[in-house]
Amino acid sequence: MSAAASGQAYHNNMVGPIMRAGDLALAVIEAARIDNPDKEIFVDDKRAYLRIHAEQEMILRRETIEEELGRPFRMNDLEVDLSSFAGQIESQDNAVRFYFVKKI
Amino acid sequence: MALLNRMDWYDLARSTNWTPSYVSDGELFPAELSGDYGLPQGAWEKYDEPYKQTYPEYVKVQREKDAGAYSVKAALERSRIFENADPGWKSVMKAHYGAIARGEYAAASAEARMMRFSPAPGMRNMATLGCLDEIRHGQMQLYFPHEHVSKDRQMDWAFKAYDTNEWAMIAARHFFDDIMMTRDAISVSIMLTFSFETGFTNMQFLGLAADAAEAGDHTFANLISSIQTDESRHAQIGGPALKILIENGKKEEAQRRVDIAVWGAWKLFSVLTGPIMDYYTPLEHRKQSFKEFMEEWIVAQFERALTDMGLELPWYWEQFLADLGETHHGMHLGSYYWRPTVWWNPAAGVTPQERAWLEEKYPGWNDTWGQCWDVIIDNVVDGNMAKAYPETLPYVCNMCQLPILGTPGKKWNVKDYPLEYKGRLYHFGSEVDRWVFQQEPERYAGHLSIVDRFLAGMIQPMDLSGALQYMNIAPGECGDDAHNYAWAEVYRAMRAQRNAG
Repeated sequence: MSAAASGQAYHNNMVGPIMRAGDLALAVIEAARIDNPDKEIFVDDKRAYLRIHAEQEMILRRETIEEELGRPFRMNDLEVDLSSFAGQIESQDNAVRFYFVKKI
Repeated sequence: MALLNRMDWYDLARSTNWTPSYVSDGELFPAELSGDYGLPQGAWEKYDEPYKQTYPEYVKVQREKDAGAYSVKAALERSRIFENADPGWKSVMKAHYGAIARGEYAAASAEARMMRFSPAPGMRNMATLGCLDEIRHGQMQLYFPHEHVSKDRQMDWAFKAYDTNEWAMIAARHFFDDIMMTRDAISVSIMLTFSFETGFTNMQFLGLAADAAEAGDHTFANLISSIQTDESRHAQIGGPALKILIENGKKEEAQRRVDIAVWGAWKLFSVLTGPIMDYYTPLEHRKQSFKEFMEEWIVAQFERALTDMGLELPWYWEQFLADLGETHHGMHLGSYYWRPTVWWNPAAGVTPQERAWLEEKYPGWNDTWGQCWDVIIDNVVDGNMAKAYPETLPYVCNMCQLPILGTPGKKWNVKDYPLEYKGRLYHFGSEVDRWVFQQEPERYAGHLSIVDRFLAGMIQPMDLSGALQYMNIAPGECGDDAHNYAWAEVYRAMRAQRNAG
């Protein structure tokens, strides 16, 4: 019950999408690995949703997701299953970027 | 035909500010509705929403979302999930729909205020979509429970709750009125979209979806997680406004709004979300404890993002972290004991196995909250039901409108935080609640808590029947134990064994 233990949860630099479970989430996991080759991708499966995270920055490219899905995909289609995300977000035409400015 | 990429035209398309010639700037954007931060109009034109969406994209994506949610509902409609659900899980649904469905329409109104009165064109664009989102949430969360109204009168509270003076509803309304119905557009963007929606709605719409999926209620899990995909977009309305305020030397104003909204949200979730996650959801379906969900969504995710925007942790951070393991246990004890005054049937959630889980997740639970439950359990086992129901009212806080409580047992620490203002004595459940009042006393001073109304003679007759009538709780609607006390059988057997031994 210690407050200090709860406070520890704050000390993290994890960014990335939280997706509803489904084929798009699985494609995003693969795309995260391909588009962020220098990063370890952490996946936490909570059954209804999946946390897909990396340290400090993660980029997802439209083409990579399209390839993994095997069907046409526009960047904004991500929203259908993007329930939440950690970090700040930047929308681009053909990519989306999650990031933190500060590092703890 | 070649189409321009969205980013080639987006900024131009949403730059809809002009110089008014028939009215003054102040008439076009009155301070009460648009906010008065002393910033030049040019500062707001720098507002750049990080999560961009155009109207054609919006229509396409929303259509796909709705097709998904409604088809899952249609597919599972004949699976009798509701009929076969644990009574505790039904209470989760009742509490959720009643507290939230109609509030979504209120949120649509708040989004509409940003849509019309925000001085930032980008915010007006995003709030247009946000307003449509909130109408969708209101419609869905009235439509989905409607099929159960004929089976269970309490389900009618999905629509009815918001119009009543039921005590939990007074608390919910007091909070939502404060952060979204009575604030200027910029404050709404900070208090509703940034503070409430990037943080707390994740608890109720994703944390709870994880429990729902475990409980096999895929219709509900799918519905609420779909709603949250709208939130994750329009919750981003507040972030750029915060950045503009901070860049223009208004960090203190921004921080104060965040601190007020986060505390109010926390108190409301301690009575709504805490009990349903840690006591109503059947033990085998609990994905995590309420505290673990709070650590995941609020501490690790929301507060971390908040400091990344250039704000500070709330001044009451240590208090908040300590309360994460305590407040909701008191809220559960209270709402269970006063169960005739709620529109759902609270599950006690205190079988020996459930207590072992609580002790594991909240070390010390048995020595504190458990001691109170021992008394309730003895009364139920003895058939002393009169003592297992309330006779008097709890004292409630003049800010959060929820019972003033502490931690019982060895840690007993209940304390009133009083304040006299213009000759009236106010009572608060914490230093933070009192601090919120002091930020703008006139905003809150006229409000009467449910207990104030009782003492003023507004509730007649002055007993439980009068209170139920005042709260619009009709016979057949008032709450009782979700499992009709079946959970007490094990304690009866334990006592028989003890006596025999």
